[in-house]
Amino acid sequence: MSMMKLVLQNFKSSFKSYLSLILSLSFTTMILTNFINLVDSKVLDPLGESQSQNIEIVIQALAVVIACFMLFFIWYATNVFLTKRKKEIGTYVFLGLSNQKIGQIYMLETSLIGGVSLIFGIVFGILTSQLFTMILVKLSDIAIEIKFKFTISSVLITCMIFGIIYLIFVIKGYINIVRSSVLEMVSANKQNEYVKQNAIVLLLKTILGVFFLSDGFYLATKEAGIEVMGNVVIATVMVIIGIYMLFGGLIPFIFQRLVQNKRFLYKKERNLWMNSMIFRMKKNYRTYAMVCVLMLCSVTALGFGFAMKDRSDQINHFENTYTYQIMAKEKGARQAFTSLIEKKNEIQYSSEVEIAVIPNEYTDNRYENTPYTLLSYSDVKRIAKETGLPFGYKEPKDNEFIELTRLYLMSFEDERTKTVHTISQTAFTSTEKTNVPYLGYMQEQMECMIVNDQVYQKLKPLAQCMYFYNFKLANANNFEQSVEDIQSSSQCDGLVKIDPRRNENAWLHILFSVSFFVFLVFIFASGSILFMKIYNDAFEEKERYCVLSKIGVDRKIQSRAIAKELKVAYAIPLLVMTISSFFSLKALANVMQVPSLLPINIWSILISYGFFGLCYLGSKGIYQKNIGL
Amino acid sequence: MSEQTILEVKNLFKNYGSKGFQTNVLKGLNFSIHKHDFIAVMGPSGSGKTTLLNILSTIDKPTQGAIFLDGKDLTKLKNKELSKIRKDKIGFIFQDYNLLDTMTLQDNIALPLSLNGISSEECIKKVDQLAQVFGLKEHLKKYPYQLSGGQKQRGATCRALITKPEIIFADEPTGALDSKSSHDLLECLKHANDCKEATILMVTHDTFSASYAKEVYILSDGVIKCKLTKGQNRKEFYDRIIDMQASMGSDFS
Repeated sequence: MSMMKLVLQNFKSSFKSYLSLILSLSFTTMILTNFINLVDSKVLDPLGESQSQNIEIVIQALAVVIACFMLFFIWYATNVFLTKRKKEIGTYVFLGLSNQKIGQIYMLETSLIGGVSLIFGIVFGILTSQLFTMILVKLSDIAIEIKFKFTISSVLITCMIFGIIYLIFVIKGYINIVRSSVLEMVSANKQNEYVKQNAIVLLLKTILGVFFLSDGFYLATKEAGIEVMGNVVIATVMVIIGIYMLFGGLIPFIFQRLVQNKRFLYKKERNLWMNSMIFRMKKNYRTYAMVCVLMLCSVTALGFGFAMKDRSDQINHFENTYTYQIMAKEKGARQAFTSLIEKKNEIQYSSEVEIAVIPNEYTDNRYENTPYTLLSYSDVKRIAKETGLPFGYKEPKDNEFIELTRLYLMSFEDERTKTVHTISQTAFTSTEKTNVPYLGYMQEQMECMIVNDQVYQKLKPLAQCMYFYNFKLANANNFEQSVEDIQSSSQCDGLVKIDPRRNENAWLHILFSVSFFVFLVFIFASGSILFMKIYNDAFEEKERYCVLSKIGVDRKIQSRAIAKELKVAYAIPLLVMTISSFFSLKALANVMQVPSLLPINIWSILISYGFFGLCYLGSKGIYQKNIGL
Repeated sequence: MSEQTILEVKNLFKNYGSKGFQTNVLKGLNFSIHKHDFIAVMGPSGSGKTTLLNILSTIDKPTQGAIFLDGKDLTKLKNKELSKIRKDKIGFIFQDYNLLDTMTLQDNIALPLSLNGISSEECIKKVDQLAQVFGLKEHLKKYPYQLSGGQKQRGATCRALITKPEIIFADEPTGALDSKSSHDLLECLKHANDCKEATILMVTHDTFSASYAKEVYILSDGVIKCKLTKGQNRKEFYDRIIDMQASMGSDFS
């Protein structure tokens, strides 16, 4: 009973200092609960089976990512807690308590923190579940009716994931304490030994770090076809190692060099803050590196979300190039269809095209269902003129063609290797690739080769010809009205009608919102880790600032020194993140086959700068309060 | 003692506690310190030594009375001005050194100068000069944890001297040192004082340390019981202090 009392008292007194930890653990739990609930409660079922399945897969994958992150985060948090508490509860050794007993106290205290975080997380998760779904739907810009539903199973799953992870680390801490000697316990939190590191070791770490980073960046952005996936995984590991090495090597190295240059150092507060920065670097570099990696993850997640949204908007636009696409076996039916449509609708623009489908027996095509399809150069040029789509390609030579492709969400195709298609013993090499939607929605369904007019005429006898009559309505929402008229025509062999309001790609939009939440989790976690670190540092620094006050150093000067130190503490991970994020988004741009995601990159970085700016102001205030300025 | 007055204490009182339960720690002190004085304040525990030092060094405020430093009454100044005075006119030496463990001895000594915006060349030069005098030249690159107590205290003294303050307050500077280190430090302080570099007010309970001063004030029950002035010989001065202690019937340690 008295032990429980002690634990509660300790918890109460340290509650404030671990508030940021509890909050970010709760936040992570809350998001996890909501993700699991989203899948469990079937809220998204109205979107249709295939779409809701897509989303479920994505959300489940993200739930796994968040659970992994939770593991990492709890590991870090309990470690920090262990070193901090070890000394304080370690003094109970002098009261005659055994290590086991102290370990039990630690376990109870840590469990209390974990329990509180879990309860907060789940309660907030339940409270916010509807809001979460609403925000998700709103952000995703999809139209479904939301029903408030919360499943017990999602709570249980979250509790289980959190509980198991937490338990593992609490037991790890217990074992650590039980195995500690008395001396270790009492001096766990002391760090009066200076941490100046060997310059050669630092240099070595720097070289390795730069090697890993540059290799990682290279691998991530290299064109490598289907191997890109593997490369990206290796690159991620390399970049993480590189960042750790950089923080463990280059940054202390630079600082130590700078501090050795006294002419540089003895400028106002520099002497003060640079020295204390280095002093803590050995202990803190892992934290900085971790924060940097988390920042990078958050910015990449946000960039990914933005890019997905952008791409899904493009696909939507792509598919809406035409409202109707009528397939016919006969040529010259355009006028007939035009007058049928104009009975009830106004046409904005229209086009007509002949396509030649070459049977596989004449080609080297291995895919049965997607035969090679030819378009003539002048036809495409004419479509561009009629519809106002851009066109700027040179006419292909006799053994060349232009690839007309769909808009891929992601593609691992290697851009360097040229596609070669063989049709009736002639090899055609692709000179260019375009995804301008000349064929609208139909372009999604097949891949076409644009060849010059002579070649087209030469190969036409081998092919089966088809005609597409494409119409874009001035008011696309009215598309239902002319359907019957078109289908009444005997020339119509098939009709594709596009509803501008349909949300076939809604799951992509949800991907955007989900990425946004992942961004929030990561950025919140990295902010809180840095915040917590600075909070704890402030306690250790208290004595030093007390000395400064005693020897007559002005409070203003002390504040300035603190501000500079904190600015650098925030700026370094942000700087490394900024550089790395450029490469991570470049890798994403490669996979998505877009020239650059730079604007998205800049936006995501600016958002995180804003967030960390606020964190900086908060930690500066808390720091100064803690050391009594 | 014909030199310029640096510090003047007039009718200084200090009480602790609330009305009805007051303890009078200092009961009307009057004295002045002149340029290049080296004064040791001795007295039994509870005699008010530390209170006096705290008040003189502007860390604490008196209940009544005035302290003039450089013509200004410290008791009437605002915090901002006091902090400026602490920075520019006063140097401190503490019993527990109070060097910053985050930086080398060189950086520690240079800190007050560099914070005052003095050029880095000037800082480096001055640190070198002082380190030479205090025998710390080889230790400048070391961190406090690599230094002995005596070296640390000499380093702290350098830090106190580097801004050329009007007066140095030393609070039991030898309190944590062994006799050899104490001797070294006191020799250094004496040297600085003899070279007209520093005016020192030292609080100590150690007779040996006090015998290095030019004058010894013995404080008891909040008043200065007597003042002893050094003759030609430190040993003889030491004996006189011991005799005085014996006659007062108390041990100061």
